[in-house]
Amino acid sequence: MIQEFKSSDDILQFAIGREQESVDLYTGLAETARNPEMRGVFEQFANEERGHKKRLQNIQSSGQFSFTPKQVQDIRIGDYLVDVEPHPGMSYQEALIVAMKKEKAAFRLYSDLAATVSDQLLRSLFSSLAQEESKHKLRFELEYDEVVLKDN
Amino acid sequence: MSMKIKDIITPFSAWSNIVKKPVTVKDPFTERPGADRYRGFHKNDVEACIGCGSCEAVCENQAIDLVPVEGIDTKKGDSGLRPLVDYGRCCWCALCVDICTTGSLTMSNEYTWVSDDPDDFRFIPGVDKKPWDNNEKGWTNPGYSLYNPERVNMEEIEPDERITNFIEIVKGYSKEQAEKEADRCVSCGICVASCPAHMDIPGYIKAIRDGNLEKGLQLLYDTNPLPEICGRVCTHRCEEVCSVGVKGDALAIRWLKRYIADNVPFEDYKRILGLDSLPEAKKHIAIIGAGPSGISAAYYLRTMGYRVTIFEAKEHPGGATMYGIPKYRLPMEMLEQEIGLLEEMGVQFRFNMMIGREVKFDELYAAYDAVFMGIGFEKPYLIAIEGEEGPGSMQAIDFLREVNEGKKPEIGNHVAVIGGGNVAMDAARVSRRLGAKVTVLYRRRIVDMPSDPEEIEGCEQEGIHIEPQTIPTRIVKDEKGKVTGIEYLKAEMVDDPKGRRPKPVPIEGSETILEVSTVIGAIGQEAYYDFLSAEWLEKLKLERGRVVTNENMQTSIERLFAGGDSVNSTADAISAIADGHRAAKGIDVLLSENE
Repeated sequence: MIQEFKSSDDILQFAIGREQESVDLYTGLAETARNPEMRGVFEQFANEERGHKKRLQNIQSSGQFSFTPKQVQDIRIGDYLVDVEPHPGMSYQEALIVAMKKEKAAFRLYSDLAATVSDQLLRSLFSSLAQEESKHKLRFELEYDEVVLKDN
Repeated sequence: MSMKIKDIITPFSAWSNIVKKPVTVKDPFTERPGADRYRGFHKNDVEACIGCGSCEAVCENQAIDLVPVEGIDTKKGDSGLRPLVDYGRCCWCALCVDICTTGSLTMSNEYTWVSDDPDDFRFIPGVDKKPWDNNEKGWTNPGYSLYNPERVNMEEIEPDERITNFIEIVKGYSKEQAEKEADRCVSCGICVASCPAHMDIPGYIKAIRDGNLEKGLQLLYDTNPLPEICGRVCTHRCEEVCSVGVKGDALAIRWLKRYIADNVPFEDYKRILGLDSLPEAKKHIAIIGAGPSGISAAYYLRTMGYRVTIFEAKEHPGGATMYGIPKYRLPMEMLEQEIGLLEEMGVQFRFNMMIGREVKFDELYAAYDAVFMGIGFEKPYLIAIEGEEGPGSMQAIDFLREVNEGKKPEIGNHVAVIGGGNVAMDAARVSRRLGAKVTVLYRRRIVDMPSDPEEIEGCEQEGIHIEPQTIPTRIVKDEKGKVTGIEYLKAEMVDDPKGRRPKPVPIEGSETILEVSTVIGAIGQEAYYDFLSAEWLEKLKLERGRVVTNENMQTSIERLFAGGDSVNSTADAISAIADGHRAAKGIDVLLSENE
């Protein structure tokens, strides 16, 4: 079911909620991770999501918003990888897959929403959020490419 | 023989010149250019120069010193030094130019230079600007070298024969061949820095030239107790920077190392290496893993007088070299011989002893004065695409281990190997020897493949097809779950936003299914740390799956040292050996401080 958005504030509130869900996911994974290194990785992911949330909150409070569409490279590594169910013993490879998939899902959501609204401002805001998520996805894909796919 | 009248008169005709004024007196201000090939003051193309020091070494007058130059940094294959010439000593013989491995050092035909400051006559050509820098005449590298630019060919089994068996491909140099190859070395030593173990390469090559293999063996063991192995499978980064390789073929350093190790009778090793009377055993060190890093640490610790016990989870020592490298590259007996030496030195091996299963890490840490951990990379990264589970899909390290154990895994008639590193090449070439057609699917370009170029060449010679820029998307199976193919997308390369190697991006609509019977994944590996309890893992600092150590290979746990694939990022035998050596010294320092 696609949620109804009446204003940019609604959208931002929704997006802030999504980022908080991500913070909660990674914090939970950090708390349950058996491997301390992975705990650190998840804490880092959670911090990044907190940073995204903060940015959205700043837009919300200031009312200032500008969006310049930019082509974000999509190397599509995550597209063909099988889903990983988060679990406490996750390896670094699995953690990156979870992160890539999550960012990709968020990108798709915001892109779809941008396509469904007719209001120019709302569309612009959704597009901006989609662009942000695609940047996050790229960041994890580049990490996967360097670490996991070193020999490939 | 009769003398002609002209022969008698001619010497007297020279006396006629005695009444002529010398040219310099008659015409002192007119410059008289040197002949086109005159050997005048030096020039040096400092960008092309690699500071190998061959010019310095060849100069019998000691007129050349290699000196640091501001703005030129030391880097791989470049010492960062450049020749400074002292014209108070130079005799203009041009041997320095003739031996120059890069051709950067030349001599202008300028011979006139006036200065009242004697220090001016010591300068760095190409750095200290001179009027003759753009002078095109003079003495340049004459088209011949003082060394032979061509490598002595190594005899190998022909590809058609190779793929029918696992016999070692490379036959090794004869005495005559080795000495001829060793004779090409200019002893510049630029290779030493690029060798992770910093082996004395010019030294052992000289030992071959001198016919003194015992000396050569001693030099090998000074920094590497596994020369038989490295003489066969070393990644030989030394050869990549060999100065002779700039204009010709790089020295066959790896094969020369092998020549020494193969040609000194093994029964003489202990005597030659001075291992007959090792120092009295003092403290006791435990080593986890009998791979190259563990064996290296054990050897050097034992020579320092420590008691050493190696705990190995598997039935045999050698780690990745025993279980991962195919026999056609590294025959098993080479490894057994080198392990045998350690046993004779008194190193204890305890096989089938997995830490965390047979013995707890806590017990080990409590019972021994220090612990070295060389656990390797045993856990493969999965391709993580649909269909990877189940029969017909396997991981390269499991496949290679089974074959080295004498098993013959069922792979069918066409194998797809995923990956471009040495493990992938090994899996491909072994599959070929088991009778299968083989296709290697690699995401990037062939030029990006991390495997040794000779492995890629070997694949091609053996009829293995490498399909670059292919991204596997799923493993195709029939209704019974049997692998029937692998689907992939073709990729185009795009620049990396951070300037690293280009990234492959799938091309929409380029789906292709390659019919295969088996898929072997070889995209990379990581380490298992499951043998450590949560409490120990808490204390052990890891970064991206690797153990973090200081320069002495000491981990974040005081008496725990580590090395090999689970620590360094190069993941090859010589780096592991170097780690083991450093760790042995680090352990000695720590335990000596605590005494």
